[in-house]
This record gives sequence, C-alpha cells and structure tokens, in this order.
Amino acid sequence: MSITLHHLSKSFGGSPVVDDLSLEIGDGEFVVLLGPSGCGKTTTLRMIAGLEAASSGDILIDHRRVNDLAPQKRDVAMVFQSYALYPHMTVADNIAYPLRVRKLNREQIQKQVARTAAMLEIEALLARRPRELSGGERQRVALARAIVRDPRAFLMDEPLSNLDAKLRLQMRAELKRLQQQLATTTVYVTHDQAEAMTLGHRVAVMHKGQLQQFDKPLEIYQRPANRFVAEFVGGPGMNFFTEEVARTLLKSAEATQTDADVGIRPEHVEISRVPRDGWLPARVYVSELMGNEVFVFLEIDHQKIIARAPADFRADAETPVWISVAADKLHFFDTKTGLRI
Amino acid sequence: MNTFRRFGKYLIVTGALVAALAPIYWMITISFKHEIDQFAVPPKWFRFPPTLEHYAEAFLTRSFGQYLFNSLFVAVASTVFALLLGTLAAYALARFRLPYGLDRKLALWILSTRMFPAIVTAVPLFLIMRDLRLVNTKLALVIVYTGFNLPFVVWMMRGFFAEVPRDLEEAAMVDGDSRFGALWRVVLPLVLPGLAATGIFCLIVSWNEFLFALVLTQTDTAMTLPVGIAGRVTQYGIKWGAMSAASVVAIIPILAFALSVQKYLVRGLSLGAVKG
Repeated sequence: MSITLHHLSKSFGGSPVVDDLSLEIGDGEFVVLLGPSGCGKTTTLRMIAGLEAASSGDILIDHRRVNDLAPQKRDVAMVFQSYALYPHMTVADNIAYPLRVRKLNREQIQKQVARTAAMLEIEALLARRPRELSGGERQRVALARAIVRDPRAFLMDEPLSNLDAKLRLQMRAELKRLQQQLATTTVYVTHDQAEAMTLGHRVAVMHKGQLQQFDKPLEIYQRPANRFVAEFVGGPGMNFFTEEVARTLLKSAEATQTDADVGIRPEHVEISRVPRDGWLPARVYVSELMGNEVFVFLEIDHQKIIARAPADFRADAETPVWISVAADKLHFFDTKTGLRI
Repeated sequence: MNTFRRFGKYLIVTGALVAALAPIYWMITISFKHEIDQFAVPPKWFRFPPTLEHYAEAFLTRSFGQYLFNSLFVAVASTVFALLLGTLAAYALARFRLPYGLDRKLALWILSTRMFPAIVTAVPLFLIMRDLRLVNTKLALVIVYTGFNLPFVVWMMRGFFAEVPRDLEEAAMVDGDSRFGALWRVVLPLVLPGLAATGIFCLIVSWNEFLFALVLTQTDTAMTLPVGIAGRVTQYGIKWGAMSAASVVAIIPILAFALSVQKYLVRGLSLGAVKG
C-alpha cells in the first residue's frame, strides 16, 4: 500500500516540529526518514501511526485520508525504539496480542505465532518474559509482533539504536532481508546515515522539520541537494572550505565556478607526503587508523578538513603534506541559499 | 560497642512492639475474661478462667452481627466504587494534557477536598442526605465514603500510571486495541500492586470511619461496627466485655485481607522506588 503525506505540519505549543512535509511512498517501498535528533522524523512517523494529530495537511494511506482515523483502525504496525514489549506477558502472548484483539480463534493465533517465531528464529523464547531476554532477542520479539498480523505497513522508530554495534549490523542485514521477503511498505526512522544508505530504497533527509531531499541513497550521497545534506550524509561528511582556501583550490583544480560554497567528500581528497606541482600545502592535525583506511584530519590556513587515505598511510601530527582535489569531484552550493548549483 | 548497639536496637524494637501490641493484647484478654476478672488488682495477665459469654452477648443478644455485615457491605462497596471511578480519573489525569494546565489544577483541586477537617462537611452532608431521604441507609455511607476515598485513589493511582511508559499503551493501540482495551489489558495489569495497596487503604479508612457513621446512622439497619461499639458506653455503665469481643471481631477481616495482599502491599508502596 502507498502512504502519501500532503503538506503535513505539526507544531507543539506554537513551535513547528514538522513543517510542510510532502512525501509519496510507493507500495512495497522502504523509505528511511533521516535526520539529526529534533528534526521531526519521529513526530512524522507518529503522525502516520495516528499517535500524534497533524496540525495541518493530510495523511493518505492507499489514497484514503486517515487523519481522523484512530491508530487501531489504520492497520499499520510500529516497532518502537524501546521495543515496548508488554512486560507482564510471555513472548508468545506478546506476539499474539495483535491477533487476540482482532478476535482470531486460538488455532489460527497459535499457527501464526509459530510461523512468525520460526521466521525470526525465536521459537525457543516463546515461554519467557521480556525481562529475561537480551536486547537482540527483545528486538526480534518486537519485530515478530509487528509482522505477525501482516499489516499494511511497518513503521520503525530507530529500532536498532539500543543494540551494540555488532548486533546492529547483523539485525540491519536481517531487516533488509525481511523487508525483501515480505515486500511490505516500510517507513524507517533513524539518525544513522549508514542505516539509511543500506536499508532505504529512498531516503528522506529532514532538518528542522523540513524535507531537505528525497531520493535514492546513492543520489543523495553523490548529488546532495544542499549543504546540510552534504555535511550530514557520509561518514565523515563533506568538507567545506573558506573562501580563500576555495579560491586557491579552484585555481589548482582549474575549475571555473565562483561565488559558491565549495565542498568535497573526504575520499576525493588526495594526500601526498612529498610536494607536487600545483598541490596545496597542508599540515596533519591528527590521523585516525580505522583498520581498512585512515581518516586524516588536515589543517589548511587554520581550517580543518578530513581526508580518507589508504590503510598504509602514516603521518604524525604536524607533518607537512600536500593535497589535491579533482575538479569533477567538487560540489558547489549557493552561498546564500545553500542549494546545489 | 557493637553488642551494645545491637542490644539497644532490640530494646527499641521491643519497646515499639509492646507499645503497639499491649492494647490489643489487653482487648483480646478482656473479651475472654469474666467481668470480675477484668479489672482485678493485681491484673490477671495470663491466667484466668476464659469465657465466651461476651461474644454470645455481642453477637446473639445484641446486634453486632448486623453491624459487622453493615461495615463489610459499606467498606467493600465504597472501596469498589472509589477504585473504579478514581482509577479512570487518575488515568485521564496522568495521560491527557488539558488546555491551560487544567489537568494539574484539577488534580490539586481534587486533593484540596481532603485538606479541611471532616467535621466541616458533616452537617451539610446530613442535611443533604435528609433531603434525599437517605439518612440511616447504607447507601448514604457508601456515597460519602466513596467521595472521601476518591482523592486518595486519584493521587495514588496517578503516580502509578505515570510510572508506566507511554510506549506500551501506544504499542497496544497501534496493535489494534482501543484505548480502553490498552488500559485494561496492558496498563492495569502493570499497576495491579499499586491498585491493591490503594484498595486496602480505602478499605481500612472506610472500615474505621466513625464520624459520618455516627451522624448519618441511627438504627441497626445502617449502623457500622465503630458506632455500634462506642454505643456500649452508656450512662448506666460500660460494657467492656461486649465492646472488646466486638472489637476483636472487627480487626479480623482487615487483618486477613492485609495479610493476603501483603506481597502486593509492599510492592505497591515501594513501586517506582526501584526501577525494574
């Protein structure tokens, strides 16, 4: 089913949290709402679920306006950041809950709970209570409870944020696999751009309640619509230069654009330990060995930028280096509006 | 030093226990003593010929059986109503934000009804009940006790509800349940210890209440145990034996109930103190 947000706004006590947001989410699509905390992504999700009333604008599910529909009538399933498992019920009862309130008969409930538990490999946990489970197990139960009734859409609010790094990676892959299997429309909220890049068919980047860009992950990475997206997406984000540095940089890169903010991704900054013709001198501020690569923090004219160098690159602090950027890898943004040129 | 400290500790505990239990022991022994032994000098602490004559007098020749029933009826009914209304009110006050901060003002307003002395409302309540033709009925006491316990229930339960994460009932509603269903199936089971603790307090207050029962009841049809017992103090003499016998019986139901929900009581009173 499709979800359409039409000029959706929400304000709490006069201050806007979501500001004129329009999105079209197609049937079976996995859309990620990405943004820093306080950007309105969770509020948007809660409005889709019906837990929060929209101040203005429309929410359409399958082209039907659902603004005034109570959450229980929207037939969407939500996975909460806290998992929100019912502590007084066993895992089996937790998963069966959506079916029980729908008054399915006992056999059907048992069958569906068993099938879902098998899908998430939690059959062994069915008799336990939530407090006896690990974080990853709770996560699976929360997913099972969402999946069991075959809802029209999944809404997920930072579901992986409470897991440790290793488990998060594993669950991320499983989530992706699961969504491919079920092909259920999914709206996924996160502040983690790696999750957004890997999971989403399309990513909606939000900032201060406003939609910044809504596109395929690669497009967002390669052609950010504005400075905010450029700096937020990517790990680490895009480098920006002061005017002076930019001018010399442009000259060396033989680019013609002027009067614009100039940015470049860290992986497109080349570093040399020996001086080369036309390269800019810089100093190493600090370098961080990541294992497969090195993040080199550089200083040029009191400005810090980050470059990603091969794993064998070694440089102590204060070492002089020379950098070069390719003209076709530069991004230009309007100085006033921040929009991509 | 250490032994001295421990000894001191036990001394204090013993002192507290004696102070708390001595009157009860006194009452229980008097209820089983012949009138002649009750105030013998020196006191007969442990050895005396026991008798059940006072129990027979209280419950067979006098109407203490009826008082006992009245007390039970009024206490249970008013507790049930207070819990029912108070819990719903508390849930609303804990969960919904009203305009102009009305939710907090309402809560304080509800509590303020407990801030003046009970005697202030005794006369108006008597007049109201008289006009409603409810004087000397159990219903009058049920209404008054329900009203009296409501603020207490609202404030206790509001605290317990506030401890329950909102996510849980939101999850229940997204899962397809109504708000009431979420309250019934998810939230209430979680605050059950709190509900039990609140319930027993209501029960105790209603069971022991004296003032309104004295003002609003006159005959056996509605009179409760506290009023009935006090009624044995007459201008001709004080029936210590019958009073004690009735008092012993009066503490049994509350004691039994308190013991049966003790587990909940402790958990309910310390709910929120420890996370888990």
